[in-house]
Amino acid sequence: MGAVGAFFAMSLDTLVAIPRRPFALREFLVQSWFVARVSLLPTLMLAIPFTVLLVFTFNVLFLEFGAADLSGAGAAFGTVTQIGPIVTVLVVAGAGATAMCADLGARTIREELDAMRVMGINPIQALVVPRVLAATLVASLLSSVVVLVGLVGAFGFSVFTQHVTPGAFAASLTLVTGLADVLLGLLKSALFGLSAGLIACYKGTSVGGGPAGVGNAVNETVVYSFVALFFINLILSAIEIKVTL
Amino acid sequence: MTHVPSKLHPRLRRIAADQYAGWSRLGIQTQFYFTTLRSTPDVAIRYKSEMVRLIAQMSLGTGALAVIGGTVVIVGFLTMSVGALIAVRGYNQFADIGVEALTGFASAYFNVRLIAPLVAGIALAATIGAGATAQLGAMRINEEIDALEVMGIRSVAYLASTRVIAGVIVVIPLYCVAVLSSFVAARVGTTAVYGQSTGVYDHYFNTFLQPADIIWSFALAVAMAVVIMLVHTYYGFTASGGPAGVGEAVGRAVRTSLISASYVIVFMSLAIYGQTGNFQFAG
Repeated sequence: MGAVGAFFAMSLDTLVAIPRRPFALREFLVQSWFVARVSLLPTLMLAIPFTVLLVFTFNVLFLEFGAADLSGAGAAFGTVTQIGPIVTVLVVAGAGATAMCADLGARTIREELDAMRVMGINPIQALVVPRVLAATLVASLLSSVVVLVGLVGAFGFSVFTQHVTPGAFAASLTLVTGLADVLLGLLKSALFGLSAGLIACYKGTSVGGGPAGVGNAVNETVVYSFVALFFINLILSAIEIKVTL
Repeated sequence: MTHVPSKLHPRLRRIAADQYAGWSRLGIQTQFYFTTLRSTPDVAIRYKSEMVRLIAQMSLGTGALAVIGGTVVIVGFLTMSVGALIAVRGYNQFADIGVEALTGFASAYFNVRLIAPLVAGIALAATIGAGATAQLGAMRINEEIDALEVMGIRSVAYLASTRVIAGVIVVIPLYCVAVLSSFVAARVGTTAVYGQSTGVYDHYFNTFLQPADIIWSFALAVAMAVVIMLVHTYYGFTASGGPAGVGEAVGRAVRTSLISASYVIVFMSLAIYGQTGNFQFAG
């Protein structure tokens, strides 16, 4: 219970420190580039199987109903509203947040953070704020990549493997998925990135107990950010339906 | 100071060396996987008690994870939240075209084929898998693995094969929890929250639930567990670079195992259900 309170206290500190100067611009750019670099390839690799599986399952259904023309609608709906944000955060949490947590954890047990505090530098402002913002920014940018790659993969799979007409696929893309869904998908990804970054930084700055401690902290980062992700996704989907319908 | 003569084509050499290192890493990784699988009989003969200890540890988790109920609770929670998502999204989308009665069908179809395997894979990689990498990585950094080898214990069999076997044994009850909680969440969400009558829901759910699909999805879960545990033990076994190295190894292992597990699911689903999908609408 104490850990939950400490997590929220640190999140609040971080949010308060975001507008405060000096903003660690260089660290922010370095971290954004780092997260983008480690996440890009896994994102592409993970987006393709997820969408192929989704399109396969949906198309089996559509072909049975004789509604194969609608496969584009199913692909767009699944990719934009669910797979885009979820794959993004799986990768940002699995690749970016774990590396952040490992880095901060190693600094914590080498007492570098205490040294910063002694020198009058607030580690939250210098290290946590740029990392959290970097995770948020990269997550929202990556989700559009996932959607694009997913739709191209879905198109290829439906057209070349399941013999859906390409024109019908393209025409039905926008049938149930509109601008509001796309914007909400991006917003969702940004929120997921924010929570993954906060969890990684909290676990990283509060580790103890040598290499095993850092390993466990990273493990807990992955577990907690996945749990948070699914929980946020459920709530946001319920809200999304109220907004878009 | 000694002078080293400069080499011809340094950039080309570096690229070639990188390529070579990449390929040999792939070979070493494959060799590790085969050694691990080949050593499984050793586990059954020699390291039974270690295996039992690991099974207990994996199902309940260690450290802070045990406080919130361990792997069982996390897997159950993740699949429950997506089951509820089926209720939320499925009910509303079906209600749009006036067939909200079919939400039970969506639960029986998508949960078994798509959602339970994917989410269970994600949860396994995050909990059991990442935990194994963290443990083995810390052992490697503290030179405990070298100590085991000096003592004449087969380190791969004792550390890696035991974890693979334990993972496969643990995944079966875990996957039961996953499937059940996704069904229950979808049913409760649809009938209690959105107010559909339970009879309608159960009728469509039971009509479209194919027992064979569930059996196949168990096969998927076991295959996924093998792949995930192999990847995670490899990255833990070869961790290097101090405390930060352990953390990085966990991150790399999660990434790799998520990707390989999802490819396993895709190819196995295509192989199991075939191009037509083995789907009977007539029920």
